[in-house]
Amino acid sequence: MEITKLKPVFYTLAAISGVVGMAMYFSSIFSGIFLIIAAIVIYYIYRGLLTSYKTAKAEVYSVLKSMLIPLVGIIAAILIGAIIMVLTGYNPVRAYKALFYGGFVKNWSISVLNATPLLFTGLSVAFAFKAGLFNIGAEGQYYVGAMVATFLGITFNLPPVVSIILIFIIGGLLAAAYNFIPALLKVKTGAHEVITTMMFAHIAKYLSSIFIRGMGGDSAGSHPYVTDPIRDSNFLMKFKTIFPSANYRVHIGILIGIGMALLVSYILYRTTFGYEIRAIGQNKDAARGQGINVGKNIFIALLFAGFLSGFAGVTQVIGLDHKMFENLNAGYGWNGVSVALLAANNPIGVIFTALLWGALDAGGQYMSRTTQTPNSIVEIIKGIILFLLVAKYIWAWLGHRLKRWLGKRLQKNGGVQ
Amino acid sequence: MNKFTRISVIILVLALAFSGIVFANGNSEKTDTAAAAKIIVGMATDTGGLGDKSFNDGSYEGVKKAAVDFNLDARVVESKQQTDYVPNLAGLAEDGSKVVFAIGFLMADAMIEVAKNNPDTVFAGIDIGLDPATAPKNVQGLLFKEQESGYVAGVLAGLMTKKYASVSDRLNDDNVVGMVLGMDIPPVERYQAGFYAGVKSVNPDCKVLSVVTGVFTDQAKGKESALAMIEQGADIIFQIAGLTGIGALNAADEAGVAGIGVDVDQYGVAPEAIMTSAVKGITQATYLTVKDVINDKFVGGGNRTFGINEDATGIAPYHNWNSLIPAEVKDAVDKAIADLKSGKVVAPASRAEAGYEG
Amino acid sequence: MEGILAILNTDLLVATIRLSTPITLAAVGATICERSGIVNIAMEGMMIMGAFFAVVVAYFTGNPWLGLLAGVVAGGIFSLVHAVATVTFHLDHVVSGAVLNILSFGIVRYLMVLFFGHPGTTEPIPHGLNEYQFAIPGLSKIPVLGSMFFNQTPIVYMSFLLIIAALFFLKRTKVGLHLRAAGEHPMALETIGVSVYKMRYLGVLISGLFSGLAGAYLSIENAVSFTEGMSNGRGFIALAAMISGGWTAIGSFLAALFFGFADAFQIRMQIFKVLPIPAEIFIIFPYVATVIAVAGLVRKSRSPKADGIDFIIEREDG
Repeated sequence: MEITKLKPVFYTLAAISGVVGMAMYFSSIFSGIFLIIAAIVIYYIYRGLLTSYKTAKAEVYSVLKSMLIPLVGIIAAILIGAIIMVLTGYNPVRAYKALFYGGFVKNWSISVLNATPLLFTGLSVAFAFKAGLFNIGAEGQYYVGAMVATFLGITFNLPPVVSIILIFIIGGLLAAAYNFIPALLKVKTGAHEVITTMMFAHIAKYLSSIFIRGMGGDSAGSHPYVTDPIRDSNFLMKFKTIFPSANYRVHIGILIGIGMALLVSYILYRTTFGYEIRAIGQNKDAARGQGINVGKNIFIALLFAGFLSGFAGVTQVIGLDHKMFENLNAGYGWNGVSVALLAANNPIGVIFTALLWGALDAGGQYMSRTTQTPNSIVEIIKGIILFLLVAKYIWAWLGHRLKRWLGKRLQKNGGVQ
Repeated sequence: MNKFTRISVIILVLALAFSGIVFANGNSEKTDTAAAAKIIVGMATDTGGLGDKSFNDGSYEGVKKAAVDFNLDARVVESKQQTDYVPNLAGLAEDGSKVVFAIGFLMADAMIEVAKNNPDTVFAGIDIGLDPATAPKNVQGLLFKEQESGYVAGVLAGLMTKKYASVSDRLNDDNVVGMVLGMDIPPVERYQAGFYAGVKSVNPDCKVLSVVTGVFTDQAKGKESALAMIEQGADIIFQIAGLTGIGALNAADEAGVAGIGVDVDQYGVAPEAIMTSAVKGITQATYLTVKDVINDKFVGGGNRTFGINEDATGIAPYHNWNSLIPAEVKDAVDKAIADLKSGKVVAPASRAEAGYEG
Repeated sequence: MEGILAILNTDLLVATIRLSTPITLAAVGATICERSGIVNIAMEGMMIMGAFFAVVVAYFTGNPWLGLLAGVVAGGIFSLVHAVATVTFHLDHVVSGAVLNILSFGIVRYLMVLFFGHPGTTEPIPHGLNEYQFAIPGLSKIPVLGSMFFNQTPIVYMSFLLIIAALFFLKRTKVGLHLRAAGEHPMALETIGVSVYKMRYLGVLISGLFSGLAGAYLSIENAVSFTEGMSNGRGFIALAAMISGGWTAIGSFLAALFFGFADAFQIRMQIFKVLPIPAEIFIIFPYVATVIAVAGLVRKSRSPKADGIDFIIEREDG
């Protein structure tokens, strides 16, 4: 029997196990991890049956290897952070205990909530990077998505599922449209998108103030600088409806995010568009030589990046806040850059780095509350983690030097001159 | 395995060992409650954090003072994003705090939620207005009538800028005053509206200028905004812009005109230039709340408004201007305060109410 | 209409100079850096470091000139991290810059808590450089230009001198020519025996020093304390200025003036209530102007040929 005929069986099994496992895990039912592992195992069993045991093993190893470098960087940063803490008079053991316990166990639901918008903005930035573009203005697209979601959330009065899907799509499209001018300028005049998207991000922030005042209560009222709340029917579903023991605020936005990550991964690695994007990212001129329409692809890529960041704003409004707050400097756009960089712009990797960032934030708060260690140490650790991305290049450089040094030793010790 | 992999594995093993040591004593959420034979009073700031020289700092001052006076353990947590509010507030409650302060309206929902789940802890929110019909009994909103402080400051400014300008070289004859705003948010607007009304009540022809900077942390913008208005003849600059406003006050000082601070007594920023500050008794509010809780006098489920009648709004002492300000002006200021207290005068709480475009 | 005309006066131009100085400094520094072939988007972070350390030293020593030095040095040292990452470790320039920006905020926050006991804003320094404003006799009496250019504070004067110095450096000195070659034809430079790496390190260092000076201006000359986030995007506007200025010192200066002008103008528009619209519309004016400038002007210029392109060379060092 052709093994490929069983593909749908394997994939469905893996998908169900994976989704249920993730839903459980995000609801702080940690035994869900077994279902997630099961899903992965099922997938690789299929790969093994399809190709060969050896190939599948190689695939698994290559995935593990790609995770190795960021992991090493993270661990090194944590150690350096510990040294800094000791040097400035804080107890790293107590602090880290609190940090990890708070972030990954006690307040895991908060970590998930923190991670959700980061996942989307991270995907947005990562995707743009693949095309050689720096969508640093993700924050602005986030605001646009949030504003649209707030407006529609207040006005839409449709059946819930329809409503929510529409809000996502419209929010995403308008956020993509917000990147229209930067994209156009990039293609037509070569204007650097770092500047244009960043300026647009500042503009969106100030415009959102006007929007919120317009959509919100009067200034003498009790909730002045927030908008009116959106309708109940437009709330994004929470995990609690499936798993009653879940924290009452965690919503399924994270699953939507993971879905988007898979979609982005598919687009990048399994479609022509994705291939062209990556080709442009690696070498624009060579890509042009291959006949790829660079301008068109860059344009679409920036718009799509805007679309993804827009989702971040939408999920935040219909999932968590249910309204829009002014003066909320959460910086999801800027942090999305870090999340993308740490994942080496790999969409699946972004899932993990977003969760890590979310956990560091939540854990940092817990740590600062319980041990009174300033949570700016978390910011420093994050910065060092990022900087140790360089680990990859340092490895290469070190390895290179080592090889040459060894080569010279061999030469000196009797090799042929 | 190649060299790279080997080294990585070594590092990983070391990391595992390290985490083994770290977690050797098992997970616990035991905080420093060992030392807490004392009652705890907790405070969760908003994303601005401490060091804002007004809001969060002022509240913390009150908490600290109460901690000293009533022998309590004061704990503060700085929130970074909206998702932190609930765990911070809940965490402080679970640590055993007797009273927890939430700073800033952004925490309103979080505070109410956490209060419902922790009925034995008192929660008080600065600038959080509650609906008495639905608010839980262990919560209280602490509101301020910034417009009253603004009004009194406006009366002072209105008189000093023209009629009594001769008492100081810093004042001129142009009959112009200016305000520097941070973000255009309601407390800021309340100060602005009150100030405008106060100025107009004693000096109807005075030109009142305003600039919105849109940010609370950019001193340079504050400086430029103040200077632009000073160029137009403004001789008194009222800052309602947090740290941006510090730049404005310094600029006023350098340019040789006068300034008025905000939220707390800011005369220290520029002792020669600052006539007074429009204050908001945040420190008092937190202190009194703790005091009430300790003395079992706390009444929750609604709002407590701190205005002129509680002496929680008003203006700071004149300090170096005390000798310069004529008695008539001081009397007028006192009269304004009395009128506000008696209700004879009501300070407008919004630009619309004040008839001011900004 | 009369309102708008009243805005156009000397004060507006003087304010333009004040608002554009930090941008000018960072942009001119960035010009030199990018001319050597290294893309620098970390000016925001370098500015913050400069601003912070200027205040720390000025506060604890009471001497603003030492603070000035500290700010400049801090910017320089911080920029060396960028240099090491991009030149020696061949890390992507944009990535390194982005990371450095993030790192700078964390470091400054942590150190502020350490040195001052709390985050947010520091205590005011006893003496700021604004006390040293002086008017050049004679020249300062020239109408309009006199007040703009000849009656300013120390760092503003420095910025004028540095623009000229940068111009001279890039066009007339041997080192400057080598530096430019590192950004245009690095291989050719190596063949004549000059180290491209060294030139690039120099370029990055110079931009770090300049950005540090810009930061010091913000905190100890234009203000008397440090506030977290006080750079407020100026590092990126400087990047825009450099690009719209065509990667030249004069161009960067003119572009920076343009942005300073836009900001000064927007403030005055609010005062004169030119239009009955929310203040935020005015506030975004400089940002919109930036976009227009970058869009409209970039056509005419191009970046150094080897800018942003990594350069690796094998060397025999016995």
